Amino acid sequence: MTATELALRTDGVGKRYRKGWALRDCTLALPAGGVIALVGPNGAGKTTLLRLVVGLLAPSTGTVQVLGHDVTASTPQTLSRIGFLAQDHPLYKRFTVAEMLRFGRACNLRFDQGLAERRLAKLGIPLDRRAGTLSGGQQAQVALALALAKRPDLLVLDEPVASLDPLARHEFLQVLMGAVAEGGVTVLFSSHVVHELERVCDHLVVLNHGRVTLTGDIDTLLAEHRLLVGPRTATDLDRAGTVVEAVHSDRHTTLLVRDGGIPAAPGWQARPVALEDLVLAYLRRPSEPSAAVTSGVAA
Amino acid sequence: MTWLIWRQHRTEICVLGLLVGMFGIALVVLGTQAHDLFPGGPARCAGEAGVNETCAASFRRLDEEYGYVENLLAVFYLVPVVIGAFLGAPLLARELEDGTWQLAWTQAVPRMRWLAAKLAALAGVTATLTGMFTAVLTWFRQPFDVWEGRFQYDAFDLEGLVPVAYALFAFGVATAAGAILRRSLPAFGVAFGAFLAARMSVALLARPAYATPLTAMEPVAVGGSKGQAGHRPGSGNASWLIEHGYADATGRRLSWTEYYELEAVANRAGTNLNQFLHARGIQQFKVYHPADRFWTFQLIEAALFVAVAAVLIAVVLWRVRRRMI
Repeated sequence: MTATELALRTDGVGKRYRKGWALRDCTLALPAGGVIALVGPNGAGKTTLLRLVVGLLAPSTGTVQVLGHDVTASTPQTLSRIGFLAQDHPLYKRFTVAEMLRFGRACNLRFDQGLAERRLAKLGIPLDRRAGTLSGGQQAQVALALALAKRPDLLVLDEPVASLDPLARHEFLQVLMGAVAEGGVTVLFSSHVVHELERVCDHLVVLNHGRVTLTGDIDTLLAEHRLLVGPRTATDLDRAGTVVEAVHSDRHTTLLVRDGGIPAAPGWQARPVALEDLVLAYLRRPSEPSAAVTSGVAA
Repeated sequence: MTWLIWRQHRTEICVLGLLVGMFGIALVVLGTQAHDLFPGGPARCAGEAGVNETCAASFRRLDEEYGYVENLLAVFYLVPVVIGAFLGAPLLARELEDGTWQLAWTQAVPRMRWLAAKLAALAGVTATLTGMFTAVLTWFRQPFDVWEGRFQYDAFDLEGLVPVAYALFAFGVATAAGAILRRSLPAFGVAFGAFLAARMSVALLARPAYATPLTAMEPVAVGGSKGQAGHRPGSGNASWLIEHGYADATGRRLSWTEYYELEAVANRAGTNLNQFLHARGIQQFKVYHPADRFWTFQLIEAALFVAVAAVLIAVVLWRVRRRMI
C-alpha cells in the first residue's frame, strides 16, 4: 500500500506530559476507507492519540501523517480534510444551532450547510434552540452534523457515545454509519466499550498503558486467533511464542493462541474467539515495551 | 472570524460599552457645567489663580461645586483593569473551560490565525473603549488640571496615554493567566491583583525616577507668611513636588528635627520665624519634576506597561504555537 492510501500513519509517536508519558512508541498504519476502532481502558492514552491525529497536540517524539500530510503544519487544507468530535461533544452553549452552523461555515473552506440542515431536520432538532438547552444526545448530533458538514476525509471521534443513553447511542451510531455508507469518509473512533464493535468496525487498534498492544483488520485478527481447550497442564505450552493468554481451571486449560489455524495437538479442541474476549486478553497482558503485535495492513 | 469574535464576545463588549457610555455621559454633563464656570475656557486661567480675580472666583466655585466629583474620579483608576481583564480573561480560558478549543482549532482556520484575529480584535476593543473614556475624562479634568497641574496621581494616572497602556497590560495579564490557569474567573482575579501591584509599585517607586528631578533653592523671604502661594521656590504648583524642606547657608539640607529646633529657638526669642530664618541664611529647597515633563513621563510609563503586555502576549502565542494548550 502506498502512503496516500493510508488514512493515518504514525511513526514512533510519543507524547509526554509533565507527569509522564501518556503515549509511547506508537507506530500505526491505518488504511483509508472503513471504520477504525481505538480501544483501551480509561487512561490508556486514547484521547492523547486522537488529539495528536487531529493536530490539537504536537507529539514529543515521532511523526503523525494524516492522509499523507504532516498534521502539525496545520494548513487550512489539511485541517479541512479532518473532522473531529471531541469527548463530550463540546459546543458553544450560548449559540443557537443555526449559529453553530454559521460558525462552521465561517471557519471552513468547504462546509455543506444544506447537508447539516437536512440531517438536523431529519432528527427534529430545531435550529433556533440554544445549543446548551438541547439534550445530550441532540448536542452530540449537532456536533456530528457539524463535523460531517466539513465533508472530511477522516472523521475522528473521541468516545462519541460514552455519555449517551442507550437510545441516543443507537441513534448516533445509526447516523454515523449512514454517513460511512454514503462513502468517502474514514472513521476513527475511540471507545472503552468493546461490545458491538464487531458489527460496526473494520479495523482495530488496542491501546493499553500508552502503548499499542494489538492492531489489525478485525476479520484477519479473528481468523488468526483461536481458543484451544485441553486437559489442565502446567508445562510450557508456548510452542512458538503464539500463546497470548493461558487460563487454567480445575480440569482444563484454555489457551488463546495466534497461530493462523494450524491443526491442534491431540486431545485439544479448537474454537473461534469472540472479539471482546480477544481484546480483553490483550488488555490483561502485562505491558512490556515490545508487546505490540501487528497484523499487517495488507494482510 | 469577525462574526465569530463578535458573537462570542458581544456580551462583554456591550456591557463595557454601556458602562463607559453611561459614565462618559455623566462626565460630559457635569463637565459642561464645570467648564461654563470659565468664560473663555479654563486654559485662559492657567497660572492666574492668585492673580486674576475672575479666575480665582471660578476656581473657588469649581472646588465648591464640583470638588466632590473630582474625589469620586479615584474610582476610575480601575477602569483600565475592568476593561482589559474582562475582555482578556475569557479569550482562551473560556474555550479551555468548556472544551470548545477542540472545536475551534479543528476547523479550517489554523490556530495561530484564530489567535491573532482574536488578540487583535479584543486588544483593539480594549484600547478603543479605554481611549474613549480617557478622552472624556481628560476633557472633564481640564479646569482641575489648570489649577492643580497634571502630575498628581489623580490626574496623571487618568489622563493621556497611560490608561490605555494600563488596559492593554491588564488584557495581557488576563489572557496569559487564562491560558495557563484555564479558568476565566481566576484569570480575572490574577489580572486584578497584578494590575494593583504593578500600578502601585510603578507609580510610587519607578515613576519619580523616570528623570532626574530638579532642585530649586531660595532664601526664606522676610515678609512672607509661611506657605503663601507664589513664595514657594521653583515653578508653580503644576510641577510634581517630590521633596521639600530647608537647607542652611551652605546648602546642607536640614532634617525636620533640626528645623523644628530652629523654630523653637525663634519662638523662645519671640522673633518672627521667617525673619529669624532669613537672618541665619536658611534657604528653602524643593525637589520636583517640572510640569513640562508630563508627556515624557506619560510616554515612558505607557511604553513600560505596553512592553510588559507585549511580553505576556508573546508567551501566549508561544504556548499556543507549541501546542502546550
